[in-house]
Amino acid sequence: MKHLKPINAKARQLTEAAEEGREEEVRLMQTMVGCTATLDPGWEVDAFGGVAALCQPMEADLYGCSDPCWWPAQVADTLNSYPNWNADAPAAQRDWRKLQSVFPEDT
Amino acid sequence: MKTLTTAAALALAAGFALGGAQDARAKDYLLTGLKPDKLVVVDAAARQVDKVHTIPQAAPGPVTITPSPDGKTAYVVVNRWESVSGIDLESGEEVFRADLSSERERAKVMFGMDISPDGKTLAVYESPVRLELGEYQVLPTRISFFDTGAGKGAQRLRSIPAPRQVTILMYAKDGSRLYGLGRAVHVIDPATGDVIAEHKTQGWDRAEFYPPDILSVWSQWEQAGVFSTPYYTARSDMSLEDPAAYWTGLLTLDLDSGDFKLKEVENTDIFYFSTVVSPTNPDLLYGVYNNLSKLDAAQGKPLGRVELDHSYYAVNISSDGKEVYVGGTMSDIAVYDAETLKKLGSIEMPGGANQALATLRVIRR
Repeated sequence: MKHLKPINAKARQLTEAAEEGREEEVRLMQTMVGCTATLDPGWEVDAFGGVAALCQPMEADLYGCSDPCWWPAQVADTLNSYPNWNADAPAAQRDWRKLQSVFPEDT
Repeated sequence: MKTLTTAAALALAAGFALGGAQDARAKDYLLTGLKPDKLVVVDAAARQVDKVHTIPQAAPGPVTITPSPDGKTAYVVVNRWESVSGIDLESGEEVFRADLSSERERAKVMFGMDISPDGKTLAVYESPVRLELGEYQVLPTRISFFDTGAGKGAQRLRSIPAPRQVTILMYAKDGSRLYGLGRAVHVIDPATGDVIAEHKTQGWDRAEFYPPDILSVWSQWEQAGVFSTPYYTARSDMSLEDPAAYWTGLLTLDLDSGDFKLKEVENTDIFYFSTVVSPTNPDLLYGVYNNLSKLDAAQGKPLGRVELDHSYYAVNISSDGKEVYVGGTMSDIAVYDAETLKKLGSIEMPGGANQALATLRVIRR
């Protein structure tokens, strides 16, 4: 390992684990890791192919869907990594402009 | 001594009379949660918020709310669904806390929680994963039991294995069974974890219908003692191009008798997120989402519907069966006449905060 330099988080993790004799525990994840029990590709259409049967207005549904990670790719993961993402915006219909993008921490 | 005895008897009689009078004066209070950390007590008849309590370490917000049988404490799933906080509804003090995750294990409560009829035991459905260096290892799901008198730092009394994908957990009225709604309604022995019986849903053997679609995460059966949820299916003997092939049904489970029923009520042209059973007529249900509907589960027919001002996830009903409350989602609870479905009023939540996925419960005291 002395001639190899880790350049990403997984490689650094492997290097550190090797020093502890735990390199076998570092594995390549085969699937996207989210917090979700489902995977919706984006803002949906309803079961009838329209939008009338979606939540009205959209803000009514924002936290009901984002908090359980229904939209894991579109909004922050409040169940695990970013629990305070909407803590300063308790009223989606009023506070939605406060919601910001999040970025993985550079570890 | 005779005087004392007489005085004691009079005091006792007065106490009974007072107790009776208090019962007569008992009122319905609604419980709901607000993002990110509030538990709200609402005087239903007065259409007013009675108390707002702050739950420690609750973000992103309260989810399942389970009141104690005496109506004095509410147990709330909070803290990224990894903790249960028991809040004294009068003082707002946190009197119970169970933090489920540990350094190497992350455990989530995906909605399922109930309290035993004697109020002594809290049953919590847990979905755990082990946090390894480079992966999350999914662990078997389980139901864990807690002593409600354990205070803060409550530890599991014991755990039993439980089927996966359970979102609703319910005690039978006599406490002898636990019902878990997942891909079936599992009837579980709380002592051993044995699955005693199953009421089929996903695996039903109704040849003329495709398997049903059920999304049920709202615990709101306390008024009638009957759990209910909508399901969606389609006739397998009809063309799926035909809108008449699609059906909305009602699943009901009587927590006293154990009776389990499935009944189609209308062609699917709108959706309901949740339903509630009337405490004065077990055949009468109310379904809510973008509409509020009145449904006859015995005859399998709709009795009327109104459009709502916005979407609501949760629905509950007054103890006399005369008022329907719709809540969850945004920042108000709307009140409707159970007979006419006419809107009677609205209760705004403090600060306009959203209720999101919080359950809407009714206590009487």
